[in-house]
Amino acid sequence: MANYIQGMNQLITAYAANIPGACLYGQNLNNGTFISGLTKKLVAHPTGRVVNTGNCENTLCGVGFGMMLGGVTSIYFVKQLDFMLLGLDHFVNTYNFIRSSRDLSKLGSFTIILLVCDQGMQGAQSSGNSFGDYASLARIPCFTLTNSADADQVLRTQLTAPGFRMIALNMRHFRSEFLQLNAVYATKDSTVFQYTEGAGATIVSFNFSLPEGLAVHKAFAGAGLSASLFSVNYAPVVDWSRIKQSVAQTKRLVILDDSKSVHLPCYQLLDELHAEGLAFKRDVVTRQRIEYGVSPEPFLVDPQAIVAKLG
Amino acid sequence: MTTTMAENERKLAHDVLRIRHWQHLVNEGLKKNAFPVPLHKAFGHEAVAVAVSNAMQPQDQLALTHRNMAYNFARAGALQPIWDEYKNKPTGLGQGCLGSMNLANVGRGIVYTSSILGNNVSVACGLAMAMKMRGVEGFVTVVTGDGAMEEGSFYESLVFAKSHQLPLVFLVENNNFSMSSTIPERRCPIAIAHLCQAVDLPYCCLTGNNVFDYAARFADYRELVVKRQSPAVVEALVTNHYRHAGPTPGFPGDPMNIDMKNGLLVKASDEDPVFVLQANMKAAEFQELESQVLAEKWSD
Repeated sequence: MANYIQGMNQLITAYAANIPGACLYGQNLNNGTFISGLTKKLVAHPTGRVVNTGNCENTLCGVGFGMMLGGVTSIYFVKQLDFMLLGLDHFVNTYNFIRSSRDLSKLGSFTIILLVCDQGMQGAQSSGNSFGDYASLARIPCFTLTNSADADQVLRTQLTAPGFRMIALNMRHFRSEFLQLNAVYATKDSTVFQYTEGAGATIVSFNFSLPEGLAVHKAFAGAGLSASLFSVNYAPVVDWSRIKQSVAQTKRLVILDDSKSVHLPCYQLLDELHAEGLAFKRDVVTRQRIEYGVSPEPFLVDPQAIVAKLG
Repeated sequence: MTTTMAENERKLAHDVLRIRHWQHLVNEGLKKNAFPVPLHKAFGHEAVAVAVSNAMQPQDQLALTHRNMAYNFARAGALQPIWDEYKNKPTGLGQGCLGSMNLANVGRGIVYTSSILGNNVSVACGLAMAMKMRGVEGFVTVVTGDGAMEEGSFYESLVFAKSHQLPLVFLVENNNFSMSSTIPERRCPIAIAHLCQAVDLPYCCLTGNNVFDYAARFADYRELVVKRQSPAVVEALVTNHYRHAGPTPGFPGDPMNIDMKNGLLVKASDEDPVFVLQANMKAAEFQELESQVLAEKWSD
């Protein structure tokens, strides 16, 4: 049975190898640990190429946008999200130039696939590992891959889609079982996935908290309540309608958000729900305050306590 | 050169004068506060801009900086769409969305223009990489400056371009200034030739503002880069006259101090490409060409 990183690696390499003319590039792509297993056995389409690069993240981000302008589709593989602090200027300025002056459908596609270090004890870089903050600052879609279903849809629809996006895996779940799920509903833009349908509670997992969401779903089932379980990605605009319908029906909302931002993406959903005047019980579980130094940064979810509070 | 000019030389001379004329027209507009966006004029950059434009083949590409006026004028067929762009009009070259500092012209090979210092060099690496992957027999020129080359991306991009043998010319317009600071006021000297030696890149320095010389040498560099499929660096020593873009009257180099009624020349020395052009042409020929350029309709 594959673990999370093995399963993701197999899906990513399979999709990447089938993109004609694509440039797959990054540091340590085809040697050493293969970016912690992310790019193991990575091969390009016969008309594309794999390019192992030096350490120059800002330039490598600019290179991707240059290839986009030159009509070439590329995927840049990155070890850690915080390396992309060096690329923010391009995400904002270069991509905004391209978006405001060119027809994206006539250009190459650019994707960055990276790892978020969220297993704690990551020290000074840790608070910079907040994926949603990049999405917000650059106003770009950012996708968190949590299981077979969202990974398959995101990779299938995004790797050759016009424009730019980032796709992230997380290190906290590296050794966990690769979740094989089926979505009962997903938005076309892959920002909202729904995995179960239930009338007793609504569980919304943000960022990489889907496994914890599944545990809460199981706890509700144990208490005789069926729950709808959602997972939400980052985007400038998220279609919340399906989740709002569910909350209106269940009147119980559980939010799980393991993001590290000061401005959590779940606040947007709560704002929307309050704006509609919906009455519901809720429990919002987020990370404890992020310490500035080295810390475990735990994301602690107690499913039984949640059920007891909302049941 | 005082013999009768060949047709291609006459075109080079015409283009230098036309760019100068258009810059004067824009400057006169600036004096009347005609534009809502800041404009970075390039009086003094005309010879190198014409040389680059002259070398470009249809498949070649150009990536520019915020001070892109001379290049955009060199590549444009008319002033009006650029004038409109400077006024944020929908009829502008970029539909009024790009303004001045990001102005590009895809149809004429200017595929990217960055208002951010140093951003365009790595994007140009990507453009050259795409060209190479698609088997296009062309090259990319990225224009940068003595200020922008202080950004780390310049050095990263030199190494990246060399490592992947990209058909790319890094053109460093050295005008000694970054905003209002001269090189000695802000950093140690950087010997670009030595830098190029360190990463095994061909290097040449253009001095003297002679458009005929610049055009011949830049065309040679195009051939070199395309043939070898490997990058090169060209440094051009330029003087940027009346460069101030802001609303501060009395600033040294204040464009309020010049007037098109006094002619196209802005400085009677070899720091002005128009002066150098005049010195290399027969007087009658220069006057005829200057009159022709001044008489050209541009509308508005």
